[in-house]
Amino acid sequence: MSDEEHHFESKADAGASKTYPQQAGTIRKNGHIVIKNRPCKVVEVSTSKTGKHGHAKCHFVGIDIFTGKKLEDIVPSSHNCDVPHVNRTDYQLIDISEDGFVSLLTESGGTKDDLKLPSDESLLSQIKDGFGEGKDLIVSVMSAMGEEQICGLKDIGPK
Amino acid sequence: MSESKQDDIVMASVHSTVFKESESLDGTCLQIKGYDFNNGVNYQQLLNSMLTTGFQASNLADAINVVNQMLDWRLVDEPVTEDCADEERDLDYRKSVKCKVFLGFTSNLISSGVRDVVRYLCQHHMVDVIVTTTGGIEEDLIKCLAPTYKGDFSLPGAHLRSKGLNRIGNLLVPNDNYCKFEDWIIPIFDQMLREQNNENVLWTPSKLIARLGKEINDESSYLYWAYKNNIPVFCPGLTDGSLGDMLYFHSFHNPGLIVDIVRDIRAVNGEAVHANPRKTGIIILGGGLPKHHICNANMMRNGADYAVFINTAQEFDGSDSGARPDEAVSWGKIRGSAKTVKVHCDATIAFPLLVAETFASKTKRHH
Repeated sequence: MSDEEHHFESKADAGASKTYPQQAGTIRKNGHIVIKNRPCKVVEVSTSKTGKHGHAKCHFVGIDIFTGKKLEDIVPSSHNCDVPHVNRTDYQLIDISEDGFVSLLTESGGTKDDLKLPSDESLLSQIKDGFGEGKDLIVSVMSAMGEEQICGLKDIGPK
Repeated sequence: MSESKQDDIVMASVHSTVFKESESLDGTCLQIKGYDFNNGVNYQQLLNSMLTTGFQASNLADAINVVNQMLDWRLVDEPVTEDCADEERDLDYRKSVKCKVFLGFTSNLISSGVRDVVRYLCQHHMVDVIVTTTGGIEEDLIKCLAPTYKGDFSLPGAHLRSKGLNRIGNLLVPNDNYCKFEDWIIPIFDQMLREQNNENVLWTPSKLIARLGKEINDESSYLYWAYKNNIPVFCPGLTDGSLGDMLYFHSFHNPGLIVDIVRDIRAVNGEAVHANPRKTGIIILGGGLPKHHICNANMMRNGADYAVFINTAQEFDGSDSGARPDEAVSWGKIRGSAKTVKVHCDATIAFPLLVAETFASKTKRHH
């Protein structure tokens, strides 16, 4: 495209698609799949061969990677499913605001302030306690299909 | 007493025991006489001879007789009841009122060539209500997409599975046929779901089946003719077959389609309850759901007036499938005064012969 192209999207998106197609029959356990527009981790796959029910089909059970909800789907094994691009990025935790937002240090030296604290109770208390004790914390942020969430925590050493 | 005199008395007593005088049957019972092939191969005479051949041949001939009575009955044959409506007193009206015929059959018969006999009955609107199981629906539709083949009862299951062939008795249906069915039916379910959501259409099994009959649009299908002639086809167990598998998958890929079985029980029972002043006749091939569902509907009008069962089930296990018409009388599903016959025979043999001597003969006379 031309040089005058304006980049409105943030660096993370850069025009890349959020999902890619993959034949249902090739998706395995522990992979990822989109069910009802939600990015999910595949916890169970079973295939029923061609028969009285028609074409061979794959039965997927997935866990929504953000909400933890169980979702299922049945797809003909020759059809394409959407597989989400799932990224994990580590950021250093700078601050926690009063209304539950976190301030993170980006690679470029700026701050990322649009993420809320996670809802998972054990992770939440680990972050709050660790931060309160003045520890240096690195949070892992999982992103998929335009959604982001803190999914993990690392303690990089005493202050 | 002399020895010879004693012997005579004993002999006389034994003689009267062994040679008990019998009641004469001449005049009350038919004499048994089979077909004489010296008269050549005359199929009509051969069928006529069944009445006096005995066992199930006689039962089949009796069944033919009952069905003909069912088809010949008119309201004009009954005395005018005191409380009947004015319209019912009119002679021409009374001559036009016929018996309402319920036809029930199991799925395997639609996999067989009996499907084409059923199609004939629907094509000429010779039956009024049909009840069947799910295979009785899909096998008819699938035959319009791809054929069923003759195989053998003894073909080994694992071998057939590896070849993608499904066995129904000595018939074979390739998996591919069901794939074609899936490709055909899923878009129709999508459309039905749209109509449910946008036009408030309330689907029931019989409505869904009528729609499929419309969509198949093929004169070889009995469901097509049932749709054209407004013959309702009831299948309360609609989910128990390939059609049910399709509904199951459709609920994942495009959820929300609702099929109301309560509405259909109103409809099928209504067919019996509101039949009056018509009499009702039931013809049931096989057992299971179709047999019971039709009998139960007729219970709502205190019983059918004519009943013919053709099946191979036996009553010793107490099953409803094997129960004779007399058991249904005890429930009020068939009237005590009804004309009934059970033919213990595979319907693939008995039913085409029965239709030849009843429904099909009547159209011949009209031509």
